[in-house]
Amino acid sequence: MTSMCFYFQVHQPFRLRNYSFFDIGKDHNYEDLEKNRAVMNKVAEKCYLPANRKMLELIRRHEGKFRISYSLSGTVIEQFEKYRPDVLQSFIDLANTGCVEFLGETYYHSLSFIHSRKEFKRQVEKHSAIIKKYFDQTPKIFRNTELIYNNQLAAFVESMGFKGVLCEGVGRLLNERSPNFLYRPVIGDPKIKLLLKNHLLSDDIAFRFSDKGWEQFPLTVDKFSEWVFKIAGHGETVNLFMDYETFGEHQWESTGIFDFLDHLPGAILKHPDFCFKTPSEVVEAYPARDVYDAHDFISWADTERDLSAWLSNSMQREAFRRIYSLEEEIRNCDDLQLTEDWEKMQTSDHFYYMCTKFWNDGDVHKYFSPYDSPYDAYMFFMNAFSDLECRLAEIRERKKRIYSYTVELEKTPEARSIPLNGNEPEYAQTGS
Amino acid sequence: MLGWEFPPIINGGLGVACHDLSAAMSDVSDITMIVPKSSKGYKVRNVNLLGINNIDPGSLEPGPAHKDLPFKLYGVPANIDPYYSEKQHFSGEGRSKGTLDPFDIDNLYGGDVIGKVHRYSAITASLAAKMDFDVIHAHDWMTMLAGMQIKARTGKPLVMHIHSLEVDRSGPESKGWVYQLEKKGMEYADLLMPVSNFTASNIEQYYGIHRNKMKIVHNGSNKVQPFKGQRTYREKTVLFVGRLTRQKGPEKFLDIASKVLDSNPEVRFVMAGTGDYMKSLLDQSSYQHIGNRFHMTGFLGSERLNHLLSISDVYCMPSVSEPFGLSAVEAAQFRVPCVISKQSGVAEVLRGALKFDFWDVDKAAGYILHLLKDDVFNRKVVEDTGKCLDKISWDISAQKIIDAYSEKKFI
Repeated sequence: MTSMCFYFQVHQPFRLRNYSFFDIGKDHNYEDLEKNRAVMNKVAEKCYLPANRKMLELIRRHEGKFRISYSLSGTVIEQFEKYRPDVLQSFIDLANTGCVEFLGETYYHSLSFIHSRKEFKRQVEKHSAIIKKYFDQTPKIFRNTELIYNNQLAAFVESMGFKGVLCEGVGRLLNERSPNFLYRPVIGDPKIKLLLKNHLLSDDIAFRFSDKGWEQFPLTVDKFSEWVFKIAGHGETVNLFMDYETFGEHQWESTGIFDFLDHLPGAILKHPDFCFKTPSEVVEAYPARDVYDAHDFISWADTERDLSAWLSNSMQREAFRRIYSLEEEIRNCDDLQLTEDWEKMQTSDHFYYMCTKFWNDGDVHKYFSPYDSPYDAYMFFMNAFSDLECRLAEIRERKKRIYSYTVELEKTPEARSIPLNGNEPEYAQTGS
Repeated sequence: MLGWEFPPIINGGLGVACHDLSAAMSDVSDITMIVPKSSKGYKVRNVNLLGINNIDPGSLEPGPAHKDLPFKLYGVPANIDPYYSEKQHFSGEGRSKGTLDPFDIDNLYGGDVIGKVHRYSAITASLAAKMDFDVIHAHDWMTMLAGMQIKARTGKPLVMHIHSLEVDRSGPESKGWVYQLEKKGMEYADLLMPVSNFTASNIEQYYGIHRNKMKIVHNGSNKVQPFKGQRTYREKTVLFVGRLTRQKGPEKFLDIASKVLDSNPEVRFVMAGTGDYMKSLLDQSSYQHIGNRFHMTGFLGSERLNHLLSISDVYCMPSVSEPFGLSAVEAAQFRVPCVISKQSGVAEVLRGALKFDFWDVDKAAGYILHLLKDDVFNRKVVEDTGKCLDKISWDISAQKIIDAYSEKKFI
């Protein structure tokens, strides 16, 4: 029996507004509220709602045989709460069918694993908590931001209790082997299993579906299922991983993508040797057949399938380095708003917008960017970062003042009875 | 008087300088200023302001074009756009074939700028032929051709006011059409008025014209009412104002910033202006890991610029070749200590300012560090610079020009 394993990524970042130098120290709101709301509403109408309706209908039509999985970032869930609770409800309805699995990821869809295991763990736990809260599931399978992955990541999330990890089936690592089996990472004695994206079949739907220049255009359900059926006998799981926005947003409804989706499960299930499984079920059902050695980071982004979409130029690296340089101080500042603002700035999209690879993939970056240029993206980010630094410095000063006042009180026992009423000696107000 | 950029169309210092100078001169002489564009209701003190956008070229008699000029200008494309705008397309001379075409003046430096210069000069020469005046006073290369044509037709003395040279803008190697025009124009003129000794030396060195044909007239400056603004962050601020082009030395500012931040991380460096160096500056600043202390504001209007001056602690002008540098005077008026390159005209009049050779990054960084931590030193520099401000006025410049006219017996 060969299974087809669908995973859809659902994510929206909190985009930063055109934060100018003159805002530093004055305006602590970094978000482009209008833009974020507008994008959320647009995607909700074009993709999330109609696609969720279709999925629910398919699950019911096939009486539980059509099974899928999602990964929802924490930031997109927050935006559902804020702008579109109806979309959140439609995901809850899907969860209630019992045919849908929700995967684990970092709450802020961040690059934190690259810099700090501590921060990474914190974000994964925060994410698990919100998934549990809304969907009553505890994620067992992990997928990192944009499928960023290496051996260490597998080891680390295994230690956190995950049973499987999703990653990209990169040609240079597979070395002619098939992505349609489970693999194991190159670490001590792994129990954790790897699900590799079949990028040909995935991208046929996600990218090439409406490409009139593609020799296989138009893509029909018959044609696609024929390709899938060829795997019978030499593959155990066909992993189709893609952005959920493929349905209705990247591929508009007029391309026929929803019709394709409507007919696909029926066509696949007609074949007696094929079924649908969620990632957890795949991991349960099959053994790992070989090792998959990702010594360096891989991802599903751009043609390089590495970190270059986020960390290839000096601006990206500087912004990345700066934001994580505050980690320790932020974690000790006891200011919830500040902490949250910092966390939101870790979202990988901010670094993606700063990318200056101006060839093929540059167009993709441009399509997603809310800014005129990568340079703008960097400037606004760094200005906002400067404001964040100012706020931290203020807290530092305040703590120092309180500390010196306490020290002073210790020295003069009789002063202990004086209440703090704003008439404290000057050193206590200004610091010394 | 012949001008090119002029309020309300101001791109840089030239428009402001022409405006303020003509206003000051109009108190002591009769001035007719011909510019490509002016608004109908716009008045400048006693200046008779003529915008050729308000003139019907059909009503003018076309002149003999270049026939009377003692040389020929060869059409070679040149990098002439001193400002950041679209690439211009070159068109040779000979556009005016017996008729006077009006021209698109909305973008003075964009499009076919050489064609515009030709049309401006043809129209202006025809206008001037019907006027009564004693001296032709042209500002920079854009109006030189017009000045020459008027001289050729009327025989009146030609004065060329030099605010900026092609060798400032594009480097000493540039020998294109604009350079040729400048050279021929300055040779043909009766008197040159460079805005500084620095520019006079450049004219001598790169154009081979003798000093005794020059009279240096430093720019003036309008008095502003300085105020102290409220900084919204705690770090001190070092400011750069100017186009982000080679001439202004923006990459030197970056190197200075890097040096200063090595010893004192509590400083912010702000660049107000835009230009083709912006991207590489951002790239470099992040590469040098000073991205959190290095800010770009883009082009700013005067209100925002004044606010920026009011919160700045040091003004830094690392220009590679700056004929004058009015912005340093403005900073001094705001009582901001100035660290400016020796390769600037303003260094000759702001004697109190701290000066460095534009390549001497260490020296500039040293000055800035010292100004930021030593209040006594800081106050002294501000005070000494302030003393020079009284001698920088457009009235003084205007009087110098009138005196030079009489000295040369033009009037």
